[in-house]
Amino acid sequence: MGALRLEPARVQAWASRSASAVWSAFDIQLVLYALSLAVIGLLVAYVNSPSGNALAAGTTLTRGLVWLALAIIAFIVAASFDYRWLKSFAWPLYLVNIGLLVLSMAVGTGGGGTSRWVVILGFQFQFSELCKILMIVVMGNWLASRQGRMASLGTIVGAILLVAPPMVLVLLQPDLGTSLVFVAILAGTLFLAGASLRWMGALGAAVLAVLPFVWAYVLRDYQKQRLLSFLDPSADPLGSGYHLLQSQLAVTSGGLFGQGPSATSNQLTATDLPVQSTDFAFAVLAQALGFVGALVVLGLFVALLWRILRVGWRSDDPFGLVFAAGLASMIVFQMLVNIGMIIGLMPITGIPLPFITHGGASIVCIGLGLGILESINLRQAKPKW
Amino acid sequence: MTTVELEPQRSRPQLLSRFVVFGLVIALVTTTLAARLAYLQLLPAPSQATTVGDATRIVLQPVPSARGLIYDRDGKPVVTNVPTFVVQIRPSELPFSVRASVVTRLGAILDMSPTTINQLIDRDPGANFDLVPIASDVPEDTARVLSEDPLDFPGVHVGVEAQRDYAYGPLLAQILGYTGAVTSSELKTLADKGYLTDDWIGRAGVEQEYETDLRGTYGTQQVEEDATGLPIQVLAQTQAPVSGDSLQLSIDVTMQQQAQKALDWGLKAAGLKSGVIAVMNPQTGEVLAMVSMPTYDDNLFAKGISRSDFQALATNKYQPLLDHAISEQYAPGSTYKLVTGSGALQDGKIRADQKIQTYPYIDLNGFHFVDWNHRGFGPLDIYGGFGNSSDTYFYQVAAMLGIDRLAYWGRQWGFGGLTGIDLPGEVDGNVPTNQWKIDTLGQPIYPGEVFQAGIGQGYDEVTAIQLLDAYSALANGGKLYQPQVVRQITGPSGQVVRSFAPELTRKLPISQTVLKDMRVAARTGVNIRHTYNLVDEPFVVAAKTGTAEFGIRNAKGEMPFHDWFAGFVPADPWKTSSDPSGFKAVSRTDSNLAVVVFAYDANTVGNAATEIAKYFLQLHYAVKVDLRLPQLLKRGDFYGQD
Repeated sequence: MGALRLEPARVQAWASRSASAVWSAFDIQLVLYALSLAVIGLLVAYVNSPSGNALAAGTTLTRGLVWLALAIIAFIVAASFDYRWLKSFAWPLYLVNIGLLVLSMAVGTGGGGTSRWVVILGFQFQFSELCKILMIVVMGNWLASRQGRMASLGTIVGAILLVAPPMVLVLLQPDLGTSLVFVAILAGTLFLAGASLRWMGALGAAVLAVLPFVWAYVLRDYQKQRLLSFLDPSADPLGSGYHLLQSQLAVTSGGLFGQGPSATSNQLTATDLPVQSTDFAFAVLAQALGFVGALVVLGLFVALLWRILRVGWRSDDPFGLVFAAGLASMIVFQMLVNIGMIIGLMPITGIPLPFITHGGASIVCIGLGLGILESINLRQAKPKW
Repeated sequence: MTTVELEPQRSRPQLLSRFVVFGLVIALVTTTLAARLAYLQLLPAPSQATTVGDATRIVLQPVPSARGLIYDRDGKPVVTNVPTFVVQIRPSELPFSVRASVVTRLGAILDMSPTTINQLIDRDPGANFDLVPIASDVPEDTARVLSEDPLDFPGVHVGVEAQRDYAYGPLLAQILGYTGAVTSSELKTLADKGYLTDDWIGRAGVEQEYETDLRGTYGTQQVEEDATGLPIQVLAQTQAPVSGDSLQLSIDVTMQQQAQKALDWGLKAAGLKSGVIAVMNPQTGEVLAMVSMPTYDDNLFAKGISRSDFQALATNKYQPLLDHAISEQYAPGSTYKLVTGSGALQDGKIRADQKIQTYPYIDLNGFHFVDWNHRGFGPLDIYGGFGNSSDTYFYQVAAMLGIDRLAYWGRQWGFGGLTGIDLPGEVDGNVPTNQWKIDTLGQPIYPGEVFQAGIGQGYDEVTAIQLLDAYSALANGGKLYQPQVVRQITGPSGQVVRSFAPELTRKLPISQTVLKDMRVAARTGVNIRHTYNLVDEPFVVAAKTGTAEFGIRNAKGEMPFHDWFAGFVPADPWKTSSDPSGFKAVSRTDSNLAVVVFAYDANTVGNAATEIAKYFLQLHYAVKVDLRLPQLLKRGDFYGQD
């Protein structure tokens, strides 16, 4: 199979270029936007840490700093390596992907009878985060291999068959939100890679048709509850709807400039949002930094997405394009669902907001993904933008 | 296939259009999010209040109904509802940073340890938004301090709850019972009936038996709540609660107090721990008094009994929580000779005036079945046999009847089955038959066991209420009634909802002649001083005493025993010169007072139950003389009297 073949021509091309020429192609803006978002995430972590000793061991802020450091390392390492090696290892990576998810199912822990996290060296790690990046790599490899037959139904069916096993495993954890991210990656990559819109539309319609079946036989009660709670928050005032109302109240109380990351707002949020340190971090941010802060975050996300898509557009290698498309799809989907959930536009799902949510796996995997992207950016034959 | 291909397969314009569409999606997402954020965060104060207002909601809340009250037969209230203050905490409203100081101050005010309060708060981590009860029955001053400083005590709520007040406490505890919190397992079935998670339900006595009547119907009201679930205002009462119905007991508190005083005296004088006295109106089956000792204070339960108090009650060897009159069964001893005698007379096995020889003992295959006086009484008719309680007389009569016929008559008199009294926890006793012995022990009844069954020993077991019911039927001419402790149920406005007419269980298939002979025989026992000086009382009482062995023989071959007394007093209780023996009086069937006394593990010189009954009748009829014989209540060498 072609995917397993090394590509000496490319390696030569890369080796022949001078170091300065390579680093001149480094997308510094991409890094700046990402770091800015990460710093804002740390600010939210500070708000959520005990006032006075935010830097003590084990606080949200301390853990956030450690994870950010790991994310930066992951970025540098991934950017330094030639991403084309990933294509050679796409199939083994796919098996690793499945293996990690099975491992999560077997030994994982999590709140409320779920098995999302695996504890490594005292750190909880959510493998499904890494799996999203690995899935993008696998998709990139698959769609790149389908050049010339992109418009055929086989391309789409193959992609679906690739995404289905990890997605079902995540759904079984059970983690509805993350499994929907896989769908977003699937759709985004197919779309930007140029798959047949007609077939995609037909399959999308088919999915809509089976949704009632999924509702009846696949979704867990708590998942249905959350979806229903989204449709009518007051139906279950102290259950899942409660978080929704509380997060909206927190956002509302932020006003234009926010209450600042002070001790008072810290206390207020601590009582308002029992789960603020996880998926509701954006509510804390909107309360502490206000509308202006929230808008800055949205702007940074848009800028970051622009730089990601730019890399994809510039890429001569179809793999690069698909990878950028997958990464952008993942980020925009998570942004929509997480922030949308907090401000009452989306149902409650356990999807982290990249950079802002205090999840170690999330930020490290974003670092890894951006590193691969930078590697793609560095290794294009001719700048095209 | 190769990925080395550098020429893009797709046309750049097509690709561009897709990138543009993708970019538009991002723009749309971002704009939507920003617009919603602006709506939430930027709209001016009034609109913002509307936003907060969106978070308030109107919920339907149940409104508890007032539980029905309970009165005695004269209308004296014995159970009322009193408002008490309760302190609760909603954990979600108590910021973690100030929790320690709030709990410490709250503990000081409520005189509770902070550890206890913290444990209560954390008991159910899932119920962060529910009110957690911290203390009940809080003094008004304390409640006022807490509710006047809401800012000092975030998350702390002071509420008013109705609490049961048992006016007489231990006096009526086993009859009234108590209420307790419903458990989560019960709630599965009770929720359909409208019970709430923090609801109470009758747990014993009439509180349990008449739960449905007492509870009433909960109403509903519309309450506007803010986002945290705190009530803002009550908008409307959609359905008014209907108060529970009230009960009127057949119990006469005055008589209950006399009964308790007599039992208490007798048990203390004899050094006993456990006993029963129960009084019935034989004309209706109404229970007028029923005291079971030891007892407990049901107000402990109303105030929320502590674990240690409950443990002490539950593990007490003498079982204060049980109504020993209905929930414990014992050998009836000689009181059961009523069954043997009346059955043999009715079946024609003996005639009332037929003399039967009695002996020091009857030899049965080498086993000696002794008479209690170890001498025998010579030839006796039914009056002498029953009056002297001759065991050898009744061994022979029992043998004439045979075990199954004896059992038939036992069941006719109401033994071996529930009386159907309107109290929970009644047990049915035992009336042995040949088949019963084969079924339970794998052997047929032996002749010696028939002897024992005839004198209320061996496998015979009865409850005090069965015995009272049987002697009431003897007194009233053969009508066995279903005993009842509630005579009437009244609605909230006093109207009678349900009235309890006497409930006839059966008319005994025994002739009035036989019943009259048995009443005269019972009076004979009093007249011949088998019951010592009871005959000297100014009132007429016909009675049968009993001594029931139980447990294990001591070194002298003696067994511990219980004492029984069962008797009745004619409607006109007083002795008359025209009827000095009282035989005419007891020949009538107009008695409205039958009494049974039971003294557990008595082992006294005389019959302790008789002394207790005597004292009760003296108190009840307010007689001037006091004929109690305390020396009979010494524990000692009495053995085998009867």
